[in-house]
Formats: sequence, structure tokens, C-alpha cells
Amino acid sequence: MKWLLLAVKNVCRNRRRAFVTLLITAVGVAAILIGGGFANFTYVSLKEMAARSTGHLIAAHPLYFDKEENVPMEYGLSNYTSLAKKLKTDKDIRYVIPNVEFTGLISNGEKSTIFMGSGIDPKYEFKVKGPFLNIVDGTLLSKREKPSEPKVMLGKTLAKSLNAGINDSLTLLSTTVEGGLNAIDVTVQGIFDTGIPELDKRSIMVNINTAQALLTTDKISRLAIHLRDTDATFLKYDALTRQYSDLAWQTWLDSAYFYVGVKNLYNRIFGLLGFIIMMMVFFSIYNTVNMSVVERTREIGTLRAMGTYASEITRNFVLEGMVISVVGAGIGVVIAALTSLGLSIADIQMPPPPGRTSAYPLSIDIPANLYAATAAVAAAVCIIAAWLSSHKAAKKPIVGALSHV
Amino acid sequence: MTDIIHMENLSKQYPQGNGQIDALRGINITLPEQSFVALLGPSGSGKSTLLNICGLIDKATQGALYFCGKNISHASDKTLTTLRRRQLGFIFQGFNLVPVMSVYNNIEYPLILSGMPTKLRQQQVNAMLDTVGLTRFKKHLPDQVSGGQKQRVAIARALITQPKLVIADEPTANLDTQTATEIINLMHHMHQDLGTAFIIATHDERMSSRCNTTYQLHDGVLQ
Repeated sequence: MKWLLLAVKNVCRNRRRAFVTLLITAVGVAAILIGGGFANFTYVSLKEMAARSTGHLIAAHPLYFDKEENVPMEYGLSNYTSLAKKLKTDKDIRYVIPNVEFTGLISNGEKSTIFMGSGIDPKYEFKVKGPFLNIVDGTLLSKREKPSEPKVMLGKTLAKSLNAGINDSLTLLSTTVEGGLNAIDVTVQGIFDTGIPELDKRSIMVNINTAQALLTTDKISRLAIHLRDTDATFLKYDALTRQYSDLAWQTWLDSAYFYVGVKNLYNRIFGLLGFIIMMMVFFSIYNTVNMSVVERTREIGTLRAMGTYASEITRNFVLEGMVISVVGAGIGVVIAALTSLGLSIADIQMPPPPGRTSAYPLSIDIPANLYAATAAVAAAVCIIAAWLSSHKAAKKPIVGALSHV
Repeated sequence: MTDIIHMENLSKQYPQGNGQIDALRGINITLPEQSFVALLGPSGSGKSTLLNICGLIDKATQGALYFCGKNISHASDKTLTTLRRRQLGFIFQGFNLVPVMSVYNNIEYPLILSGMPTKLRQQQVNAMLDTVGLTRFKKHLPDQVSGGQKQRVAIARALITQPKLVIADEPTANLDTQTATEIINLMHHMHQDLGTAFIIATHDERMSSRCNTTYQLHDGVLQ
């Protein structure tokens, strides 16, 4: 405690210099936390979006992920209801949602274009999509839809391309599982915006029964398993692959290309920025302690003459570095927390990222481990800088130090 | 009675350009316990070098140095530091007090290094403050007291661990006549009361006249 108090007093010797060093440390720590918090918010959002789009885990026919189908549903899952029921008994699983993927042509009578369709279970699909599905017009599909009056939801660019509005009638044309052609008339129930122009140009959603009727099958493409906790994905994956080894399994990460791409890019950008900021903090502390060491050379000589070990002198300077790092990091943490709070109140929107059409909120989500890691790195940087700049001076010949002017 | 310092044929050379300069040559000195020794000589005669070697903060180039009967000519830095911590005190011409420490803390510092328990430390520092007449100033920073008071703090700091030997380098050089006299009296008084040996480099005749022994140095040789 005495040494710590002495370190505080020594830091305060040159108040202006100490203030500037503290400010650099605080701003550095805050910048890393804000940058890291923004990256983390992006990761969490993209992870959620990817997991809600495909399910945390996907169960399919053993060849579904590896081979191209010659006819629709060649590698589809049949008798999936018993499997879904069994999976639902697992307390970690929230929803088990069947899905039919299909393609074909969609026509308004005058114009036809290619579509990529999803046959969904409306009861659960829209619950898991949540905020990640933006309805531009109309309403969501319903489980209680009459089989004789099938409905469709269109991506907004596709709707515009077909000049289709709510309650307009369109025709879906697709290849059946036997390889023949089948068509079905559908009514537009809603128009959605995924935020991805390429998807909005081709995507449609219909009730799973409608998709199966169009393809003349009772199979599904895959089962999407939604867990209660995204972080449990890989543990559950291991358990389920062992339990259901006759099925092919994937996690949401296997098809989350955008998430992986953004994460790799951001990790490099923010990692490099963090490194540069920490180097600035390092040199700032190094410079401060170095100046202090030079100014106090005679004092170091005096303390050494009185029987202070060189290691104790170095320790005192390291403690000064720690005082700067702890106070600086503390201020930085407060700045970052206040910025995070301010942004959540201000509701600032970021421009759409490349390949997207919708803006997203500028938010900062700083996890506790990022606070801890940044503070630890800042402390380590300060300690190393203080040690490097003081250990040589502490070993300087005492006579030379005492005659230092 | 053991000798505190014993030097045998001790020499010290410093490198200078391509050659070297002899700061001390063939010094043979013995400092018994409780001695009060003055080291006299003109500037550049080697007083400070000899004092530094006595204070174990410099090493001789040749010869043997014994401290309390032990040959420490080749002792490690750690050993010498430990000896300084336990057995030696220093009084500098420029006082060399730590500016961020109060008068009390400056005096307390050597006791903290020795690991003395807080309560005992407090008792000893307060007693020492009383002895040197600085109780009133114990919370003052060195900048807030006069030169004479600073040197009193330095004397108190040098003696607080009850060392065997105090090294004093021109302790009155920065003081006015009256204050210098007070400091000389205080050092002599402490020497007599505590039995601590002193070796003092000085130009001050009043100081040397109070010493039991005087050594005269000239060009690194004892006269």
C-alpha cells in the first residue's frame, strides 16, 4: 500500500504530463472498446440472422449437402414428423421446423421469371424470423390457409418486377419429383424485404403444403432445429450427430458465408486498429516513464545508495505504469459505457453494407470479457513500457546516477 | 572491537580517452567502530571516490576492501545493496531528499526497506524527529522546509536504521555559517549519543576540527 501511494504521488509530480498520458490511455481503451463493441454487435446480429434463417442445426438426408439433386426432393426427408416430434422432446430445442426448397417459374400471365421458393410452416417460421423479416405490404402467411386458395409472399423486387400487389393472382410452375411439370395458382398475401437485393429479386414463400402439392411429394428438404441458446449449437451438434448418425447435419455456421466474411474482415480491421492504438499507448507510457526516469536519475541513485535493490526501483516505476493504466483504463471504460448508452438512445442508423439495401442501427455491445481483455492488455502494455524504460536506469552505476545533473 | 572498514593497498582508475586516470593509489585506511573521521583535500584529490568506495557504491580497481572483517572486494551488487541497507547511512551535500515524500516519510523510508513493523517504525521515526527537532515539520514536504532543516532530515534518515557507518559528503557545503555549525553540532552529538562511526568529506575546518581522525588526500594518495 505504501508503494502504491508512493507511485500515485510520483505519477502526480508532473500533473500535465500525467494528465496527457492518462488521456491517451483512456481514449485508447475507449476506442478499442467502442470498436470492439461495434464489431461484437455486428457479429451477434449476423449470427442471430444466420441462425434464424437456417436454424441453429439442420438435419437432412445423408446426401442432401453433398450431392446435386437430379429431380426435386431426390434427397428429401420422408416420414419427418416422427423425427420432429422426437426432437421436440429435447429441452434445449425450441422449434423444429420443416422446410421445402424449390425453384421454378412465376408468372403474372404476361411475364414470367425465375423464383427460389421456400415452403414454410407459418406457425413457427415467422416467430423465429422475428425482426429479420421486414413486411413491406400485406400480411404473413397463415397455417389456417385453405388448400384450395394457396397464398404466396413475394420478395419486394420480384413483386415490382411482376407488377404484383396484394391479392393479385400469380402462377407457380415447377418440376415435380417425377420430373414432370406442375403449376399452381396462388394469391399474393404479402411482400417482404430481406435487405439483400439478390434475394428480394427471386424469393417467394408459400405454405409447406402448397410447396409439397406443387412438387407432388410429402417429403421435405430439411428440418431446421432452433435451440434456446445459440451458444449451445456446437455441443448440441455433437450430441445429435451421435444420436442420429443416419442423417446429415450442419450448423448455422456452415452456410453463414456473410457472417464469416464480415467477421474475418472486421477482425482484421479492428485487430489492426487495436494494435495501433495499443502501440500509441505503449509509446506514450514509455515516453512518460522515460522522462520521469531521466528527471529522477539522481533520486534513483540516492535510493540505491540507501539500500534499495534495482528490482525495487523498477517495481516502483512499474507500479507508476500500473497506476496510469488502471486509472486510464477505468476512464476509458466509463467513456465506452457512456458512448454505448448514448448510441442506444440516439438511434443512429448506419448506411447499408455492401450487397444490402437496409440500414442497421449503430449500436455497441461490449461483452464483459472484452472489457476485461482490453483492461488487461492496457495494463500489460503499461507495465511492459514502464519496465522497459526503468530497468536499465535502475541498474545504472550509483555514482553516475548521483552526479546526474 | 571490529574495524568497520579496512582497506589494503586500494587503487581506483577511471578510463579517460585512450588511457586512464588514477583517482586513488595505494590507499591503506582502517576505520574502527565509533570513529569520527574527516577526509580532507582539494577538489579532484579523490575524496569523493574514497567516500564512494567506503559507502559501497563504487568498487576499487585493485586492492582489498574489508567491511566488518569480511572481504567484499568482489561482492555482488545484491550483497553490497543489502550491506548498505543494514549497515550504512548517507548524507549528501545536496540533501537528496525524495521530493514527493514528507519529512516523516523520508526518514521512515530506510525502515520500510528493512521491513520493520509499522508500529515500531512509527515510534522510531517520531523519536528521531524529536531528536533532530523536526516534529513540528513532519508533514511538510522537503520543498517546504529550509536548507538546514533538510540536512537535519537527511541526518535523521541516515541514522534511523542505527547503521555502523555514516558516509557524509560535504554535509555543510550548501548551508550558511550558523546552520552549518548547527549541523556539525548535531552530527557530533549523534555520533556521541549513538556511537555511530562517521566518515566525512569536507572543506569545512570547523567540521574537521571536531573529528577524531583526519586524512589528507592529494592526487589520490594519502599524505
